[in-house]
Amino acid sequence: MIKSLRWRLQIWHAVVLTGVLATFGVVVYSLHWQTRLQQIDAELDRTAEVLMTQLRRLLPRPTPFRGPGRPPSLSRSRPGTPPAKSAANDTKSASKSAESPAVTSARPTGESPRSRGDNDRSRDDGERGNRPPRERNAFERSLASGQLPLEFQHLFEGEDESHFYFVIWGRDGVVLKKSTSAPETPYPAIHLGEEGLPVRLVRQFGDRREVIHASRFDLNVLVGRSIAEDLAAEQRYGLWLFAAGGAVMAAGFLGGGWLTARAIRPILAMTATAESISAQNLNERIDLKETDTELGQLGSVLNRTLDRLQSAFEQQSRFTADASHELRTPLSVILAHTELALSRPRTAEEYQSSLGICQRASIRMQSLIEGLLMLARFDSGQPVLETTEFDLEHVTVECIEMVQSQAETRQIKMTTDFSPVRIRADRGRIGQVITNLLTNAIRYNHDGGTVCVKLRAVDHQVVICVTDTGVGIPADELPHIFERFYRVDKARTRPEGGSGLGLSICQTIVAAHGGTIVVRSEPGSGTTVEVHLPSAV
Amino acid sequence: MRVLVVEDEPDMRDAVAMFLREGGYSIDTAADGKDGLSKALTWNYDAIVLDVMLPLVDGWKVLSELRKTKTTPVLMLTARDAVNDRVRGLDNGADDYLVKPFVLSELVARVRALIRRAAGKPQPVIEVGGVRIDTASRTVSLEGAEVSLTAKEYSLIEFLALHLGTLVTRSMLYDHLFDERDDSLSNLIDVYVSNLRRKLGRDLITTRRGYGYLIEGE
Repeated sequence: MIKSLRWRLQIWHAVVLTGVLATFGVVVYSLHWQTRLQQIDAELDRTAEVLMTQLRRLLPRPTPFRGPGRPPSLSRSRPGTPPAKSAANDTKSASKSAESPAVTSARPTGESPRSRGDNDRSRDDGERGNRPPRERNAFERSLASGQLPLEFQHLFEGEDESHFYFVIWGRDGVVLKKSTSAPETPYPAIHLGEEGLPVRLVRQFGDRREVIHASRFDLNVLVGRSIAEDLAAEQRYGLWLFAAGGAVMAAGFLGGGWLTARAIRPILAMTATAESISAQNLNERIDLKETDTELGQLGSVLNRTLDRLQSAFEQQSRFTADASHELRTPLSVILAHTELALSRPRTAEEYQSSLGICQRASIRMQSLIEGLLMLARFDSGQPVLETTEFDLEHVTVECIEMVQSQAETRQIKMTTDFSPVRIRADRGRIGQVITNLLTNAIRYNHDGGTVCVKLRAVDHQVVICVTDTGVGIPADELPHIFERFYRVDKARTRPEGGSGLGLSICQTIVAAHGGTIVVRSEPGSGTTVEVHLPSAV
Repeated sequence: MRVLVVEDEPDMRDAVAMFLREGGYSIDTAADGKDGLSKALTWNYDAIVLDVMLPLVDGWKVLSELRKTKTTPVLMLTARDAVNDRVRGLDNGADDYLVKPFVLSELVARVRALIRRAAGKPQPVIEVGGVRIDTASRTVSLEGAEVSLTAKEYSLIEFLALHLGTLVTRSMLYDHLFDERDDSLSNLIDVYVSNLRRKLGRDLITTRRGYGYLIEGE
């Protein structure tokens, strides 16, 4: 089954379809997730921007100088390490978190430094260079002390409905403010680049997505939220994709199966038909519905072959039937007359008559059998031609003498028109051909008609031409007259000795010599038979 | 009994016709299908022996034309012994089939059987009173003793016996007992009848004056 064309096609299509669908599904899924993540990031960014803007507005005007005084308790800690103890909530060491921050991107925020206020620009000067130690300003202190503007209060209290959480910490890593839902993760102390451009970081811990904005005013803001719901939605989306892919696969497989079955069906039909065809049943033909397809063409070629085969078979079986019929007829005559003669005592005349009839029938059988044997010898492909060089005129005269008595009984005149012709061929066979043609010309002539025999040599050919003034042959019968046992006039009573093989034998002999026979006939006025033979075989 | 033989081969036709004549049948012959068909439609033959391969109109055509009007038993003769040929012959209304070459005595036996069956008397022996007619051996016996009859006398008594209990007209007798070659005289039948009465007893054959004869059934 696996070797059948149908299943090979099916399997190949299934493999290709699976590959295409899987690639397509993976690409769509990942693009979709990327888009979703970008949306989340943009949302986080927006929140962070808003928060940052709000914070900056709260920020007091920068002091004209930056004092060295800095509270010892808030001395700078190493970057990337959270402070050992946060004033408000940080009680645990950040190193406890096994996950390292997954920083997915770092880019300058969309805001350009120029769009900022004057005080920012003045601060830029201070931040370039080797970052002098500075005092915590009032805002930072107010943050640390929990004095947040009212509109931000709720962000730091308990779970937000949107699962957002915030962390605000200073450049030195000291957490200034942190919403209660914020997880215990390391908050890196972010150094601004050489240009002092704002830095944006995106990171993801498990099902939490966070953006970190580092501003030039020494504050880092982290906005994060849980993306568990998005992950779940994405999983559902993946499942949908998988299901849709499966459905497409199934449809493709079934449709492909249907199409292949349709395509294969004519082949199966052909097989069935071909199997049912035998010598006894050659009438079956392949049903051709779609003749334009390759299979239809194959089918019509097969049908044409079957037509030829059938006609060959029919010809063969007709020949066998005809031959047996022709042999049975004289045999039945012999049997009937011997039985009749022996059934009771007869006179000498009656016995003589019976014996005469039996003799005629035997001669008829003999000539028929000889004809059949000769045809069989030629059919077997080994015609035995005894070629000699002889005078064709001489042979023709002999043949005319043989049929002379037949012609005289019907007052048929024989005329000749000979050019001297020598030929190299089988003398006996050529004589047989001429005798056959003359016999036909007399037999199918009107009483008192004429038979004209001409001989001439043209180039390297010899032409024997026999013309009669007889009944002629209808045009539609002409192609068949060389068929064995074919009779033009089926109504005609079988003439004595006529076996129905004469013209077949003539044609076979002439063909064996490499010649041709041409018959022209005008029904009612006569027939001309021309035998063209090469001068030498 | 009058039988038509349609056969184109003259030697064959002569042999069949002669053998049947010697068997006591009156025989008409035809050399082609056209002649055969016209004869078969004109006369009420007791049986027809019909060759398949015939000039002008072939045997199949003759048979199908004949079957439009007549139920005459037909025995087909052919040189083809293909099964479908035989089937075709029987399906077309032939009553029997014989393949050439055949033995003449078989042909005659088959013709005899066809005639008997057509008359509704499939048994070869018909007994009327003390008279016993054996159609197979063409002999008649009276009270166990064989009676010598001429061929025509036998044909007449057989024909009357096959039509036991029904009136057989004189023209029927002429049609069936004489063939086309017989120069029959109108009183010939009366001569045969009186001969039969002399040989088989006066009461066997009843005369219906002006109509014909019959053998009364029992």
